[in-house]
Amino acid sequence: MTALAIRSFNFATKSRSGLLVVIALLVLLFFFGALISDRFRSVSNLLNVFEQSTGLALVSLGQTLTVLTGGIDLSVGSMISLLSVLMSGTIDGEAARVLPVCIGILVLGAAIGSLNGLTVIWLRVHPLIVTLGMGALLQGVTLLYTLGPAGSVPFEFDYVAYGRLLGLPVGAVFTIALFILVALFLRYVPFGRAIYAVGDDEIGARLMGLPRKRVLVFVYAFSGICCALTAIYLVGRFGVGNVYTGQNYTLASITPVVVGGTMLTGGRGGVIGTLFGVYLISLLNNLLNFMDISSHYQLIVQGLIIILAVSVYVEKKRAV
Amino acid sequence: MLTLSSISKSFPGVKALDQVHLDVRAGEIHALVGENGAGKSTLTKTIAGVYQPDEGQIEYDGEIVHWTSPGEAKSAGIHVIYQEFVLFPHLSVAENIFLGHERRGAFGLIDYPQTDRDARELLQRLGVEIDPNDRVSELTVADQQMVEIAKALVHKVKLLILDEPTAVISGHEVELLFKRLRALKEDGVAIIYISHRLEEIFEICDRVTVMKDGHYVDSKNVADIDRDQLISLMVGRDMSELFPPRVGEAKFGDVVLRTNNLSVNGRVTNASIELRAGEITALAGMVGAGRTELALGIFGGLPMSSGSVEIDGETFTEMKPALAIKKGLGLVTEDRKGQGLAMQLDVAANITASDLDAVAKYGLINTIRELQIARDEIREYQIACRGPRNPVATMSGGNQQKVIVARWARTCSKVLILDEPTRGVDVGAKVEIYRIMRELAAKGIAILMISSELPEVVGMSDRVIVMREGVVTGELSKDQLSEEAIMQLATRHEAA
Repeated sequence: MTALAIRSFNFATKSRSGLLVVIALLVLLFFFGALISDRFRSVSNLLNVFEQSTGLALVSLGQTLTVLTGGIDLSVGSMISLLSVLMSGTIDGEAARVLPVCIGILVLGAAIGSLNGLTVIWLRVHPLIVTLGMGALLQGVTLLYTLGPAGSVPFEFDYVAYGRLLGLPVGAVFTIALFILVALFLRYVPFGRAIYAVGDDEIGARLMGLPRKRVLVFVYAFSGICCALTAIYLVGRFGVGNVYTGQNYTLASITPVVVGGTMLTGGRGGVIGTLFGVYLISLLNNLLNFMDISSHYQLIVQGLIIILAVSVYVEKKRAV
Repeated sequence: MLTLSSISKSFPGVKALDQVHLDVRAGEIHALVGENGAGKSTLTKTIAGVYQPDEGQIEYDGEIVHWTSPGEAKSAGIHVIYQEFVLFPHLSVAENIFLGHERRGAFGLIDYPQTDRDARELLQRLGVEIDPNDRVSELTVADQQMVEIAKALVHKVKLLILDEPTAVISGHEVELLFKRLRALKEDGVAIIYISHRLEEIFEICDRVTVMKDGHYVDSKNVADIDRDQLISLMVGRDMSELFPPRVGEAKFGDVVLRTNNLSVNGRVTNASIELRAGEITALAGMVGAGRTELALGIFGGLPMSSGSVEIDGETFTEMKPALAIKKGLGLVTEDRKGQGLAMQLDVAANITASDLDAVAKYGLINTIRELQIARDEIREYQIACRGPRNPVATMSGGNQQKVIVARWARTCSKVLILDEPTRGVDVGAKVEIYRIMRELAAKGIAILMISSELPEVVGMSDRVIVMREGVVTGELSKDQLSEEAIMQLATRHEAA
């Protein structure tokens, strides 16, 4: 019965044994942390980690889909920065503008993402290059718009980050719901299947008559929307957008994807693995803070985790 | 059903199709033959909507069609099984079968139980035992092909095109495939069958269209012609010229390589064979008999689990490819794209790849010397290419194979192992490869040729070693050699 449950669980997330590895690591890390620090295992600290993981989770969700198609989105950091300054700059403290501007930011994120996807198709340049270029371009635009924090949002807007729903952080709960929705989409909607197929064998997908172009535009547009959601969350959290707010997210968003068992070559993996990857990274950083280890070491530990995680997922092929 | 009139298609620098005609009727199996580079694949892709013709018209199901994408041709009932399958290794069998035609339940969402049931039923109809939940990457090649055919059945296929379907399967699997094709034909499906194996055309095809160099040559009823006539249509050359005669008298030297009870984990058991200088020895048997594994065991590509290899009197119980090369061995692998050639590199780089010392000076590659060597080899082996800087990816299979042989002939001084050297290669290039093998043998190199094509084994070899299920079942000398004798040793039938 358990075996069956595990099997169907793995099947559902498409990452097979990968998911179990992340969950096992997460549990291990938690117990290790609980042993060395009382405050670490306190409910308020865990809720805090849960809340803080929201930004990373949202970017990584979009990133997972681009990686599933065999691509990558390196413009996410700059896009978050740009969208966040545009957002607080246009709202400029006016409560009435919050809703329309948020919608506008989401549309703009989707538009920039679509542009990424279309450029990949039109110019036949690898997404790595297209989005790297787009990232630089967007950062430039951001700095033209403002050189520092721009505008502000009404104080109450911090609800998206700190608000509580049944005692849980609102943003984080919304994020989990979104992950589950996307996981179901990938499994139960034929278009989701096409995303895997394009990443598995792009030429094959074309020969099969699958909507390859629509898939590419969709995943980059979705990544753009996820960036917009991250920007909204971050603006809520800090009360203002800043020109370098998103900077660290570009590389950070790839770590949970890889740790969660999605192959960088595409075609295999899933978003649930990514979500656990996000929690693993967030919990680890939190624990390192409690252990009074400098953030420089945190980077080193993260680097090691990426490399180790990937080596776990590599399909063990017969060495010739 | 399908009529192509005066189809032409050009790519930069080549006219791939020039005024080609083809007429395929419902309920017939129509063979499409021609040497590699004759334009069969381009024609196939034109029918499938991958390419759009520059001139001419396609009439399908009574209508003139202008497909702009493979999807349109597919929804019109055309299904192509390419030589390289269009399967997604990380998806399951069932997911592959219904890809693009997912079984849907409520709200248009994928209905997994239904998918599973339908996949099971389809596979059962094909008479194969495949678990729909397996990932495709875990299947054998023959099973993968059955999944491809199952896909065609889902799509309510009206025209099925198979490109070299038997290149990757053998024996029983071929029979099973033919049975399926005949059943489809009975159902009124039109089938275009591309194959280099002429026996098959006579076995299952009704009509045949011959192409050469992008031109249409002729269409015939298969019943009206014989094998030799068909070959002369294809190449304008006689069958007897296919296997070049030995250069001079047969003169075999000493045993240069011997295996003593060599076993390769689970695949080869206690194989003891001998190879003599100047002799062409064939290693025959069914696909899966352990021939490739024995070759890899000798070459160090797979670890020996017991036994030893003796090269020139020196005994090795462990082998690595680098050591094998140093001892004068060469291996032309079966899968030339995956294991043999660096497809994106040019001819010169590929030829000199295993012998960089010859072109390097002070640890740097001397490109002038490299080009010189490449030009010599291109002339020597009559490799058709635009020059030493031509990337091998754009060349035909036969010429790619010549590049690999040229490379190994440079470094290998004692034993050259060729695994299915003429698979997927046209008749003209086959003759070339046979000629090269003869020449290398005349120079005193021991040649071990793994081949599943019996006429080739009989026509080329001085001696044949037969394997079945990992065991050497017998050896035939030149005067004992016949296709029947080989088959008896290769199949279970005789073992009783």
